[in-house]
Amino acid sequence: MQFTIPMLHSAITIMTPLLLASMGGLFTELSGMLNIALEGLLLMGAFCSIIFSYYTASMILGTLLGIVCTMILSAILASVTLNLKANVFITGLAVNLFASGMTVVLSFALFANKGVVVFDNIPPLPLLGTPELAKIPILGDIFIGHSAFVYLSWLLLALCYFVLYRTPFGFRIRATGLHPEALSSLGMRPNRYRFASFLISGFTCGLGGALLTLNLGAFVPNITAGKGWIALVVIFLGNKKPIGLLIAAFIFGLADAFSNYAQGALNIPSDFILAIPYIFTLLAMIGSSIYANKKGAIES
Amino acid sequence: MELAVEMRNITKTYPENNLRANDGIDFSLRKGEILCLAGENGAGKTTLMKVLYGLESHEKGTIRIRGNQENISSPLVANRLGIGMVHQHFMLVEDFTVAQNVVMGIEPRKYGIAYDLKKAVSLVNEAIAHHHFSIEADMLVRNLTVGQKQQVEIIKMLYRDVDILILDEPTTVLTELEIEALFSSLKQLAKRGKSLILITHKLKEIIAISDRVVVMRQGKMLGTYETKDVNEQQISALMMGKSISLSIKHAKRTDESQPVIECKKITVLRQGQERPLLKDLNFTAYSGEILGFAGVSGNGLGVLEAVLGGFIPVFDGKILHDGNDITNIGTAQLRRQGLAYVPSDRLQIGSSLKASVQENIIVGESRSFRKNGFIDQRQVTKHTNDLLEKYSTKGTAQMPIGTMSGGNIQKVILAREIERYQDYIVFSEPTWGLDIASSQFVYEQMASLRDKGAAVILISSNLDEILTISDRIIVLYRGTRVASFVGDEARNLSKEEIGEYMLGIRKQGASHV
Repeated sequence: MQFTIPMLHSAITIMTPLLLASMGGLFTELSGMLNIALEGLLLMGAFCSIIFSYYTASMILGTLLGIVCTMILSAILASVTLNLKANVFITGLAVNLFASGMTVVLSFALFANKGVVVFDNIPPLPLLGTPELAKIPILGDIFIGHSAFVYLSWLLLALCYFVLYRTPFGFRIRATGLHPEALSSLGMRPNRYRFASFLISGFTCGLGGALLTLNLGAFVPNITAGKGWIALVVIFLGNKKPIGLLIAAFIFGLADAFSNYAQGALNIPSDFILAIPYIFTLLAMIGSSIYANKKGAIES
Repeated sequence: MELAVEMRNITKTYPENNLRANDGIDFSLRKGEILCLAGENGAGKTTLMKVLYGLESHEKGTIRIRGNQENISSPLVANRLGIGMVHQHFMLVEDFTVAQNVVMGIEPRKYGIAYDLKKAVSLVNEAIAHHHFSIEADMLVRNLTVGQKQQVEIIKMLYRDVDILILDEPTTVLTELEIEALFSSLKQLAKRGKSLILITHKLKEIIAISDRVVVMRQGKMLGTYETKDVNEQQISALMMGKSISLSIKHAKRTDESQPVIECKKITVLRQGQERPLLKDLNFTAYSGEILGFAGVSGNGLGVLEAVLGGFIPVFDGKILHDGNDITNIGTAQLRRQGLAYVPSDRLQIGSSLKASVQENIIVGESRSFRKNGFIDQRQVTKHTNDLLEKYSTKGTAQMPIGTMSGGNIQKVILAREIERYQDYIVFSEPTWGLDIASSQFVYEQMASLRDKGAAVILISSNLDEILTISDRIIVLYRGTRVASFVGDEARNLSKEEIGEYMLGIRKQGASHV
C-alpha cells in the first residue's frame, strides 16, 4: 500500500490532541474524578487559541492565552465540583454544553458567522526537522516534519511520567484517588490535589485544542468532534499509565488517518468510513473490559 | 509524675441525636505509661480520643499537653504536638510500598522537587530497625498481613516523632501471636518514654499490658485504677453496670420443639487474615424458643449475622433449614426460603432511606400487590396503614422512611419482617439506639413470635437484652462458642458471670457444649 507512510505520518498529527487531552485526564482520573469535561475543555482551547492568535497576530501568544482561558474554565469546574460538592458528571456535562454553545455564540458575535470561520492572517504551522533527518528511511518520513505541538506533547508525556512517579506531588495525586482518608488522616487535603489535577487537565486540553484549530487555520463549530470523549477511552485503554496513553492514542490516530485515506481509495460509503474511528472506540472499549474481567477473575 | 495529657471536664454532645457521648470527663495520661481506656460499645471511648486527636470538637473542657493548654483543632495540630492515632480501619494506600505510606506528606526530596524514593526506603528501614519491627520498607502494603499493616500504621506515627500514641482497638483483627508481638513492641515504646493509650474492651489485654486503666460507661467516667490493684472481674463489673429490669416470660423447650435452623461446624475465613472469623460453630435453633447469641463486638456476632443473612459465604460446614441444605445459597434464595431478618444496620441494610414507608414495606413482596401487571398503589397504602396502626408507629405511608425517628424505622422493618416470617426470624441488635419503651415493644413482639412457635435467633452485644429475653444463650468469643446456658441456668446467670465468658476469662468444658 503506497499510502502507508503518509498515513502513519498523519496519524501522528491526529493523535496529538488525543494524547494531550488524555494526559490531563489521567491526572484527574488518578485523583479519583472521572473528568468528562475533556471534550468541552478541548473545544474551549481550540476556539480561544485561534481567536487570540488572530487578534495578537502571534500563534505563540494566542496559544498561551488559549491555555489560560481553558484553565480558567477548568478551575471553575473544579471549584464547583469540589467546594460546592456538585456531582462531577453534571458539572462536566455543563462545561461541555457551555463550550459548544459559547464558542458558536462568540464566533457569531465577533465574526458574524455561525459556521466555519477562516482566519487568513494565520500562517500554516511551521513544520520542524532538518532535511538530513528527513532522509532517514521510513523513520524520517514518519517522525520528522511535524509541528512543535507534536514534539512538545512527547516532552510533556515524559514530564507527566516524572511528575506522577517521581515527585511527592504525583504520589499524593495517586493516593488521593486510591485512599483519600490516608491523606486526610495525615492532615493533607485531598481536594487540593484534585483541584490541581483539574488545572492540569485545563492546561493540556488548551494545548491540544490549539493544535486542532491552528493546524487548520480555521475554526469549525464542534471541531473536536468527540476527541475529548475518545481521550477518556484512551485513558482506560492505556491502563491509566503514561506509556499506555501513547500507544492507545496512536492506535486511535491510525484509525482516524486510515478513514481519511480510505475515503479516496476504497469503494466504501464515506459515511461509514468516517464512522470508523468511533466504531473502533466501541470495539476497543468492549475488548478491554472483557480483558479486564478475565484478568480480575484470575486475580480473585 | 509528669503528665503527658491532661483533659478536664470534657463534654461532647452529638447534635444529630442529642447524645451526650462525653459528659464531664477528666482524663490524664502519664509520661511513659500504657493506659487502657475501657468500656462497652458506645461508652464514649473513641469520641474522647477523637477530641484529643482533633477529629471532633468539644463544647466544654480544657486539654493540656505536657502542661500547656492547647486548642487541638485538627489532626495536623495534634501531630505537631506529638500526638498520633492509629485508627481501627487502616489508612494505608495498598498500591504503595511501606516506605511510601510512611513518609507521605513529609517525603524526602532531591533537586528540590523530585521524590527521593531510595532515601525514603533507607529512612523508613532505619525507623523499623530502631523499633524492632518485622517489616521491610520496600514491601508493597497490599502483600502484607493485617498485623504487618498495623505495624506500618504505628511506624507512620513514630516516623513523625509522635510521643503520645493512641491505638483504637488495635487487637480486633490480630491473631494471638500478632497480639503478643504488638504488645512487646508497645512495651518497648513505653520504655523509651512514649506514652500510649489503648482503646479496648478486652479485659485480658488490659491486665496484660496496661499500667493504669480508665473505665467509661455511657459517656461518663467511672474511675481510673492502677491495673495491679484491680482484677478482671472488678473491671468487668464496672464496664457492664447495673441491669434494667424488663419482664418477659421465658419458655421451656418442649417435646414439640422442632429444630428449624441447624448450623454444623461453620467456619468463616477472611482473605489475608489468618484467624478465622468464625470457627467450627455448632448450634441448633428450635421452634418456640429465643436463642440468644452474646459476645463483645469483634468476636463473631456480626459475622454470624452476615452468614445467616447470606452476605458472606461460609468456608466450611453446613447450614440446614428444616433439614434442607441452605449453605451459601445467597440472600435472595434465603429470602425465598423463608428468611425473616431484622438487621443491626437498619439504615443501610434494613431500609432504603429515600424510599417511602410503603415502598420499604413491600420491597421483595411486590408480587403479591400486583394487579394487571402493575403495582396496586391503593392496596399497598392500605396494607401499610394497617401495619403502621398494628405496630403503633407514628408516620404516614407516603413519607420517606429516612425522615422517621430511629425507633419508628425499626418498627417498620419489624412489621415487614414479622409479616413475612414463616418459621424462623433473625434479630441482630434489635434495640440498638432505641429508648426503653420501643425496646420493650420489640421484646414483646419477639416473645409473641416465640409463643406462636417461631425459632427466634437473637444476636446482641447488649447483655441486659440477652439475659432478659433469651430462653437459651450461646456466648461467642474470638469466633468460637465458649459457653451455652439453657433454662434455669440461663435465667439465673449473672451479668458478671456471662461477662467473664464474653471477655474470655472463663470457658466451659467441651462436655457442656
